Amino acid sequence: MSETHREILRAEHVTKRFGPVTAIEDITVSFYTHQITGIVGDNGAGKSTFVKIISGVEQPTSGQLFFEGRAVKFRSARDARRTGIEAVHQDLGLVESMSVVRNFFLGMEPCRGLLMDMRRMREEAERRLYEIGLRNLKSVDQDVARLSGGERQAISIGRAIAFERKVLILDEPTSALSVKETQKVFDYMRNARQQGLAVLAIMHSMRQILDIADRIVIFWHGRLIADLPNDGMDENVLAEYLHNGLPESATIAT
Amino acid sequence: MNRDSTMKEHVALFDHADRGWKQTFQSIVRSRDSSIVLAAAILVLLFSLTSGGQFLQGSTWPTILSSTAELGIVTIGVALLMIGGDFDLSVGANFSFSALIMATLMEHGESGLVGMLVALGIGLFIGFLNGIITVFLAIPSFVATLGTWLIWEGVTLVVTGGSTITVFQRSVVLNLLGGVLVGGIRWEVLWWVVIGIVVSIVLYRTPFGNAVFAVGGRAQSAREAGVPVRRIRVISFTVCGLLAAVAGVVQFGHLQSMASSYGEYYQLYAIAAAVVGGTVLTGGRGSIVGTMLGSLILSMLDAGLILSGVSTFWYQAVIGAIVIVAVAMHTRLSRLVRGGD
Repeated sequence: MSETHREILRAEHVTKRFGPVTAIEDITVSFYTHQITGIVGDNGAGKSTFVKIISGVEQPTSGQLFFEGRAVKFRSARDARRTGIEAVHQDLGLVESMSVVRNFFLGMEPCRGLLMDMRRMREEAERRLYEIGLRNLKSVDQDVARLSGGERQAISIGRAIAFERKVLILDEPTSALSVKETQKVFDYMRNARQQGLAVLAIMHSMRQILDIADRIVIFWHGRLIADLPNDGMDENVLAEYLHNGLPESATIAT
Repeated sequence: MNRDSTMKEHVALFDHADRGWKQTFQSIVRSRDSSIVLAAAILVLLFSLTSGGQFLQGSTWPTILSSTAELGIVTIGVALLMIGGDFDLSVGANFSFSALIMATLMEHGESGLVGMLVALGIGLFIGFLNGIITVFLAIPSFVATLGTWLIWEGVTLVVTGGSTITVFQRSVVLNLLGGVLVGGIRWEVLWWVVIGIVVSIVLYRTPFGNAVFAVGGRAQSAREAGVPVRRIRVISFTVCGLLAAVAGVVQFGHLQSMASSYGEYYQLYAIAAAVVGGTVLTGGRGSIVGTMLGSLILSMLDAGLILSGVSTFWYQAVIGAIVIVAVAMHTRLSRLVRGGD
């Protein structure tokens, strides 16, 4: 990659406790523009809690988040979104009974006077979807109900780009998809990376993580135990981290 | 990525004629609506035969259109609410109560204008209250408005003792609400059409309308997109309440009299008309044009049965059957053209 990586989001010593239970402890990590980070960890390892904190759904018990170098505090997902962090949940946040274009701008409709600027909405949605690689959509006036899982991902990702989010968090973006569709979604993610976003993806499939991520952070028992560049990584090594924590031979890379 | 060639390809893929209004027009006049037009046409044909031509006579239509407008204005509000995923069973009680307040005020010498404004304010308030109760007490609207229906009907009976109030004074306001406009057709028909156009534009062309469809389609997604779901629902209830009162006062303008029984069953006929018009009970889908045609079909049935010499008691039974047939047809249709409308 030729683009320069700029730190966009940093978590410092972030801890979250639910009563006596510590979900995550002392997480310090940075995320960069033009980079896809795979977030992995077994169930209960703390990756979901961490993602909820950086997307404003949960608030940390202690620790601090920095966005573009400034200390930030998110009281809600709306706060985080306004700052520039968009989390796409597994349900994708789409309304099936509505058209692509109406979904695309839901809550952010551009207007001319009191009325929605439908022409601008159509052109913008078509352009954004085309840019991220959704090129065989018949019409943005189709209902989302008619689209495949991959195409729906494209709309969620395209929406995040159109509204100039800088961090895009995807929760299991490919879990329900065919191999072919998964490759399409990877293309969308690469296009989002090319547009300069920091893309964070939670995924279960080791093979897929190794396929798409530039970098992999690993959660284990509430801690971030490894932060590795994805070069020459092996599925077995990754699986070892997930199940047994830090292998004795390994050292934490930066 | 070479942006220039990308854009060229892009333009070729997506035809960029100015489709703004055309698309809006298409989304208003949808395939579903055309099937309702067909159903209405068949009814006209049928009743002209069974009534020996009487149904087609000029004098029949002003009456049909008046009852269409009175039911239709209520129905537009109910349809808006249903598209947003809620119900209002209190519109019939609201209709009678607000119009009766207007009648009572005029009976006591207040002007028509004051009476109308108070009535509309009451309708608005009843709708707003329905919204607050449903949204903030988190009660299903079906139950919440079943409660307010009985409450307002009870209040109406207490206030009026069940009697009919007739106003004999001449009033410009009453005339403008429900007096004759031209050729026997009353002003209320015009108000119905105007309200239908305004609500259509609001639903299809404003962010509020987009939010209503989203809330009815999937409230969770709407919330995630930053739509203020509770506010949208309360506003929809308020509009629905206001339109019930508007219907009440135009009928009062037409008849110059009002009783608590006049709005009886309006809530059910309104839901029936909305459903016949293609509005989906589970929310998220519906059309105002279809809803208006649904009201017309119900009123045509009423008149057509009478003119055909059928006992008016059959009216309810026929409407019940029509509702079932309509829903069955719409379900088939939407399976066929899923997402295509």
